[in-house]
Amino acid sequence: MIKVVLAGQPNSGKSTIFNVLSGVNQHVANYPGVTVDKKSATLKFQGEQFEIVDLPGTYSFSTYSLEEMVAKNFLLDEGTDVIVNVVDASNLRRNLYLTFQLLELGKPIVMILNMMDVAERRELEIDVDRLSEMLNIPIIETVGTKRGGKKKEILNAISRAGKITIAEPFKIDYMEFESFISKIEKMITYDSTISKRWLAIKALEADKVILDKVNIDKDTIKDMTSSIHAKHDLDVDQTFARVRYDSADVVYHKCVKEKNKNLDTLTAKADRIILNKWLAFPVLGFIIYLIYQLSIVWGYKLTNYTWPLLATLKNWVVTLLPPPDLHNVPMMTDFGIWMVNSAIALLNYVPIFFILFALIAILEDVGYMPRMAFILDRIFRKFGLHGQSTLPLVLGGAFVGGCAVPGIMATKGIADDRARLATILTVPYMNCLAKVPFYTLLLGAFFKEDMGLMMFFISTVTLFIALIVARLTTSTVLQNRETAPFIMELPPYHLPTFSGVLLRASQRVWLYIKKVMTIVLAVAVVLFVLLQFPGVSTEKKAEFSQQMNKALSQFDKKVQNNKYYTHVDEVSEVSALINLYDSYKAQRMLAGSKSAVASLDAAFLAKSPKLFPLVRPQDKEAKKVSKATRKLSKANKKLQIETKNEKITNSFLGMFGRALEPLTQYAGFDWRVNVAFLSSFAARESAVATLGSIYEKGKSNLSPEESLAQDGTYTPIHAASMLLFMILTPPCIATMVVVKLQTNSYRWMLFAIFFPTALGVVLSVLFFTLALKFNWSGVDMMRNFYLSAATLTFVLSLIKTKQSGWQVGKSQ
Amino acid sequence: MTQTTEATLYLCDLKQNQKGIIQHCAAQGMLKQKLLSMGFIPGAEITMLRNAPLRDPIEIGIHNCLVTIRRSEAALLKVEAA
Repeated sequence: MIKVVLAGQPNSGKSTIFNVLSGVNQHVANYPGVTVDKKSATLKFQGEQFEIVDLPGTYSFSTYSLEEMVAKNFLLDEGTDVIVNVVDASNLRRNLYLTFQLLELGKPIVMILNMMDVAERRELEIDVDRLSEMLNIPIIETVGTKRGGKKKEILNAISRAGKITIAEPFKIDYMEFESFISKIEKMITYDSTISKRWLAIKALEADKVILDKVNIDKDTIKDMTSSIHAKHDLDVDQTFARVRYDSADVVYHKCVKEKNKNLDTLTAKADRIILNKWLAFPVLGFIIYLIYQLSIVWGYKLTNYTWPLLATLKNWVVTLLPPPDLHNVPMMTDFGIWMVNSAIALLNYVPIFFILFALIAILEDVGYMPRMAFILDRIFRKFGLHGQSTLPLVLGGAFVGGCAVPGIMATKGIADDRARLATILTVPYMNCLAKVPFYTLLLGAFFKEDMGLMMFFISTVTLFIALIVARLTTSTVLQNRETAPFIMELPPYHLPTFSGVLLRASQRVWLYIKKVMTIVLAVAVVLFVLLQFPGVSTEKKAEFSQQMNKALSQFDKKVQNNKYYTHVDEVSEVSALINLYDSYKAQRMLAGSKSAVASLDAAFLAKSPKLFPLVRPQDKEAKKVSKATRKLSKANKKLQIETKNEKITNSFLGMFGRALEPLTQYAGFDWRVNVAFLSSFAARESAVATLGSIYEKGKSNLSPEESLAQDGTYTPIHAASMLLFMILTPPCIATMVVVKLQTNSYRWMLFAIFFPTALGVVLSVLFFTLALKFNWSGVDMMRNFYLSAATLTFVLSLIKTKQSGWQVGKSQ
Repeated sequence: MTQTTEATLYLCDLKQNQKGIIQHCAAQGMLKQKLLSMGFIPGAEITMLRNAPLRDPIEIGIHNCLVTIRRSEAALLKVEAA
């Protein structure tokens, strides 16, 4: 097997080359211990096995950034056979800087001269043969965006390179440093496939990782550098960099002809508009609006089409489960339905996620991401965030409704570790899509007149809260996290490729399904147990049975003179009839066209020729039975719901909700609200579902809004307090899983759960108490909360942080 | 900051579209490494392209590349107007 690594500078099109080589069979994981993506693939070509690893893009191999450390450690530890150096042809000089360091390693190298089209457009004439000769490596020219292009040629070159042993590695003359390099070389006893000279050079650069590897004391190097400084008045780092750049310059001038020196590139022209002082914000606003419209709004519409598919799936699963025996639903069935519901609640978001991930991939490819950071850095920096925090926050729901999952996933590219963590911790405060039904439920019930105003408060206060939290965390718990200097390349604009975008979007959706679903389902099991046990008391059970018997005898009375009576004169038959009726009703709702209804009817008739005519009556007598059945089904449903509510009331979660009441009553939450919030942890939709079902009581045709409003237990300030808690409430499990993935730490995940919860409890208690004391209305309470958050944000933005930006002079 | 003499000219002082040659880099540690590996070495030509809409950071051109850098960091690079 040939072990191949792909190395190159950021924006050299490395990922595209990797995709070309590996196709879909790639494996994405993290490097051990860090959150840097490790993409690898194995493939077979002409009888040879290749293992290809895509190293993170780095400008160099210093010790400072995580990516560089990871890349260097990988090259040091793994037995790499061939290095494939992807080089941006339009930026050859700077790319050679890394190439030289790779050449010095003493391993076989294949250079891929990517983006030849861009180089051509810039009127650069590259003498590839000359370059290949000077560096003594094979070079393959590619145009990154053209898919599949030169896979064979590349693999052939790799295979040939794998058979070479390099006698004498490429050498740059470091002049004054040479004596020191050979001195260190002699000290090195470390045995590896890597050239000793390379290790010696890195050691002289005081590279911590290398010094540990080769067992040389830091002070030895320090002595040398100070003697260099004294003797030649040279700064080691700067001189190494200068010599490498000078060498790159020599190679560049011998191999490249710039036919037009002052070419005004397309990128420069585009930037004049996109980054223009006056136009930058409108353009940014438009792009954000477009993302929001395409993914959230249209994606949500798309779910109208995908939902029936999921509902069909659910109906199908229900048919596999044991049917309910009148009002007694078997636990197995309850459990099955619960699990299916939990799964489809999340699967329902897949279309939205897919569009979102595709749009992110496009933005990444085009090169707009770092430009977004360029435009907004000034604002976000004040709160400890980074210009690159914009997109995650927008995706999290800067408008009404987003989703924290893609938001947190999009934090990956943020260079500054502290800002990245702060962004991860603040994204869950944005307005999650699934919170919207909860808001509309409460607003519809208590704030009919002020709905617009309240919605405005809710949807914009989240941004203030996010900024405040970011500022608080970065100046406390995140204070000592590593920060990075804000230096970013603004890559030339590229057209994204359809297949590349599709591949990345589906990879991310798949990751979501794989990682998030498993954990959400595991938690759903736990919640189910907490909601089911210890169950309904025997007295209650007897009471429900009695009510059922009453309903049954009423049914019996109505149909006993019917000519179909023999079909339904036994309880088991009635039970089957009810189940048939319910299942037909559920499937009938999904059948849109006339022909679909006809085929559905035929299928049902074939399955139950005796009972189905009573469900879909054709004659007068059957109609009578059908009417009685509808009534019985209703009574049965009501009893099922009452049983369920009784179960919830008695359940462990119900007990827990009641146990919290002494505390939460100060926020105006009774145990029922507590249960709703607790169950919302699995997925936020559950809050509405639970609250709805607790209030449903099966008794009336009132909408959940009406029954909540008429219940009388709650006033608008109760509702405002609930809204306030929901705004701050802990993120759902799916988000927590992603927080764990992106921070690689359970501690941050726990922090992300408990901090918002504590904040939510404290603030809703505070504002509820204030509202009671000063006789505020619900709207008053919300407005005051809003104004306090806005003021605090403004004040914080005026206070200068000591840590804002990167620390000057923070040396090794 | 004044920019009366060449000796006190820093990258952040350049006007739009003004060119400069890097003289010296006062950065340390990570920032220094990052600057060096991106080609901010003495002798490199640099063009001030534009300010961000809120004036900070700035966009510059170096070695055919566009790079954005905060003013606080640009203030560490001494340049000579070209």
